[in-house]
Formats: sequence, structure tokens, C-alpha cells
Amino acid sequence: MISFVLNALRTTVHNIKANKQVFLMSVATITIAFTIQGFFFLVFVNLNTLLSTWDKQVQLIVYLDDGISKGKKNALEEIFKSNEKVDSISYDSRDEAWTEFKNTFSGKSGFVTDLDFNPLPASYNLKFKDDPERIVNIRQLADLLKGQKGVESLEYGEKWISRFENFMIFLRVVILAVGGILSVGLILIISNTIKLSIYSRRDEFDLMLLLGATHRFIKTPLLLEGLVQGVIGVGLALGLVKLTHIYMKFNFQGSLESIFRGVDFQFLTQPLLWTMVLASIFIGWVGSFLSITQYLHSTDRE
Amino acid sequence: MIQAFNLHKSYGGVAPALMDVSFTIQDGEFVFLTGQSGAGKTTLFKILFGWESVDRGQVIVDRINVGKLNESNLYTLRRKIGVVFQDYKLLPKKTVFENVAFAQQILGADRKTIRFKTWDALKNVGLTTKKDSYPPQLSGGEQQRVAIARALVNDPQLILADEPTGNLDPEVSLEILELFEKMNQQGKTVIMATHSLEMLRARDHRLLILNRGRMVQS
Repeated sequence: MISFVLNALRTTVHNIKANKQVFLMSVATITIAFTIQGFFFLVFVNLNTLLSTWDKQVQLIVYLDDGISKGKKNALEEIFKSNEKVDSISYDSRDEAWTEFKNTFSGKSGFVTDLDFNPLPASYNLKFKDDPERIVNIRQLADLLKGQKGVESLEYGEKWISRFENFMIFLRVVILAVGGILSVGLILIISNTIKLSIYSRRDEFDLMLLLGATHRFIKTPLLLEGLVQGVIGVGLALGLVKLTHIYMKFNFQGSLESIFRGVDFQFLTQPLLWTMVLASIFIGWVGSFLSITQYLHSTDRE
Repeated sequence: MIQAFNLHKSYGGVAPALMDVSFTIQDGEFVFLTGQSGAGKTTLFKILFGWESVDRGQVIVDRINVGKLNESNLYTLRRKIGVVFQDYKLLPKKTVFENVAFAQQILGADRKTIRFKTWDALKNVGLTTKKDSYPPQLSGGEQQRVAIARALVNDPQLILADEPTGNLDPEVSLEILELFEKMNQQGKTVIMATHSLEMLRARDHRLLILNRGRMVQS
């Protein structure tokens, strides 16, 4: 077994040396494809971070009818308190809201201070506990409150968040589609590289079969060659993506922080890194497997 | 023992390559297989070592029914056979030693065994002094000796030699024939395809004659 493994490794190195140019071209193609995929992931990860940062700042504001009774208000408060996902509740009466409004805008427009009535409704401001399902929780409570008497309107930036979430779903689909297309392309390229490697040494492989080599003996070094192509290709691609990440962080972190407080440029998450590495190994293996199987079928007796 | 029953093989041409070919070869025999070019000698060899299938008939080599073996198990048959070709089929970028050792590596032998058996095989064909040479640096006769050493190194019981002297002059051809006879004396079954009348006349071995795909003498 040890001798088999050593021989397979030796043959793999020999194959790579013998077809250096084709091997390097294949590795370069994998690197380019996985770098593109890596950039998509990088954008995705950072937009996702942005989304979750905004999610944390989202509150549910419940505006009340002007003539709401005390009993109704108590009933609403009971609903808020009984919801385990609600972290804190604060109440702004109409007068408080109006005072705050005037304080904020009085310097900017005389029109505001000239009004002789209070146009603002009273409101409850609900903050929610940290939870990955935070937006869903807010949405659920908002849906429950919509039908309640005494509630004038609700606000939690639903439309904006929905749009952003839809964009993230679209981005996910784009990443999957690009990933799928690149993967098929890579499988074909690796398959052709290995095929070239086989056909350039076809006499040797035929001789191996004649001398009693098992299919496994012939397959293993070629499968390893595909794997090595995949591993080197994805390694270089991840290196390039990391360098880009460092460059972005170094040059644009300040600007990002000034726009979005507390948001940091993120690198790919561990699961994404492993997905890319495993995908490239799988692609390398499948690409090799296809061409070896094709070759071995061509030697079947007719 | 090799037993062939009513072998029939056609490549789709006007005449089949083999028609109703039957014969038996006992262990330890030396047999000449002869016939004109295109008589079916190479096709018969290819069937014996599992490179071609038969359309009809059965062939049994050392108790293995060749037709019943699936493709991934053909190695079990081929490891019992040493094949020598007219064009030697040596790997030009490997040395003489590496070419012979290659057959041992395929079996997964350890380095020590490979070194010992390869040296022994080269000694048998008188080529130890050329072990570091490359095939293109050798004469035709020497290249054929390397091919014979490679066929011998795994110690097969059956040797199939397809026109091994076809590219060699008569004197060297006789030396190669003597090598095969030496293997035969060591107990190996040898089937040697040739259409050299000189060789056939020089020795009194059993003769199998193919003519346009039919076995006319067995």
C-alpha cells in the first residue's frame, strides 16, 4: 500500500513536470475563476454585515390615534410586554413628540414654530432583543398590531429593508449562477488538461494496461493531478482575494466607518473559505475522473 | 494450458479476421504461429491477452475464461502473460533499467525486489552493461532484448511474441529465438508468431498455421 501511494505520488509529480505548460495554464484558469467567485463572496459577506448592522438599529414605532382611550393603551402595552422578543418599550406622548420636534427643527424653519396646533401623534417606541430573526420578529408583531383599534400606523422601514433583502437574495442567485457556470467551465478545462496529459503519453498508458496495471494504478496519479490543480488554483485565488481585502481595508476603512458606524471590512467567512477549497478539489477530481474514464473506456475490448 | 474453441472475429470488413479457430496448447510447449501478413496472427494474440474480444467462441488461458473477464479485472490475465512486440514498445525517455523495472512497479513491488528482479532479467538477456542507456541508443536486437527482459521480469508462465524478429537481421533473429527457447526450457509456454521460413526450418517446434483467418494446421 505504501509502495502504491509513493508510486502514485511519484507518477503525479512526473506527469506535472512532463506537462508543465498545460498544467500551469489549467492552474491559472482555476485561479482566475475562483478569484472572480471570491470577489463575489467578498461583496456578499460585506453587504450581509451591513444589512445585519442596520437590522440591529431597526425599531418598531407604533403611532396611536389621537383619541385613544386609556383602556386601549393599556391593552396595547400588555401586548408589547407579553412579547418575549421585545427588549424595551418607551412612550412618547403627543406633547413630548411636539416639543422634541420643535427643538430639533425650530432653528431650521419658522413655519414649524408658527403652527398653533400639535400635528404629531403619540407613539410607542419598541426595541427588540438581539436575534438573527429580529426583522421577522418585528414583522410578526407589526402584523399583529395592524388590526388593533387605537393604532394609527406602524413604522420600521419595512419597504427599505424588504428591498435590501430582495437585493441580497438576487445577489445569492447571481453568485450561485456564476459559481455554477464557472464550475462547469472549470470541469471541462481540467478534463481537457488531463486528456492532453493522457494523449501525450498514451503509449505509456497502453503499455501499463498490457503489463497488467489495474485501473486504480492508472487512475490514481491522474486524479491526484486534478486535485493538485484544484488546490493550487484555489490557494492562489484566495491569496489574491485576501490581498484585495487588505488593500481595501487599508485604503477605505476610514471612509466606510464614517458612513456606517462600527462597520468593518470583512474577509470571507470560514464556511465560505471551506466551500471554495472543497469545490475546487471536487472540480479537480471530477475533471480528471471524466477524462480518465473516457480513456479507459476507449481501451475496452471491441 | 490454452484452449481456443471456434473463435470468430470480424472487424466489419469483407472477410473476418478469424473464422472457427480452435486449438489447444499445453503448458511448457514452444509453438510457432505462422501465416502470411493479415492472416490473423496479431488478432489472435490480442484476443489471448484480452486486448480484443471475440464475436463468437471461447478462449481459456490458464483456467481463465478470457471472454468472461470484465475490463477492470483483465489485469489478472495480463499478469500471467509476457508480451513481446515487433516494434518493442519501449519508453524512449526511460533507461533500459527503468523500462524493465516499469513492469515490476505496476505490480506494486517494493524497491528492493524491483532492483533485484530487474537486474536478474537483464542478466538473462545479457544486457546488464547497457542498463543506463536509453532505447534510441541501442541496436534493434538490443532493444528487443530489453523488451524480452521486461516480459520476463514478472515471471509469467506464458510468453506471446508477436513477430519479435520482424525488424532484425537473420543472425540477431537467431539469438532472439535462442532466448525464447531458453525461457521455454525454464518451463514457460512460448507462442512465437513469425513468417520467417528460415526460422521455421531451423527448429522443429510445433506449428500453428493461419491462412486468411482459418487455422489450417494445429
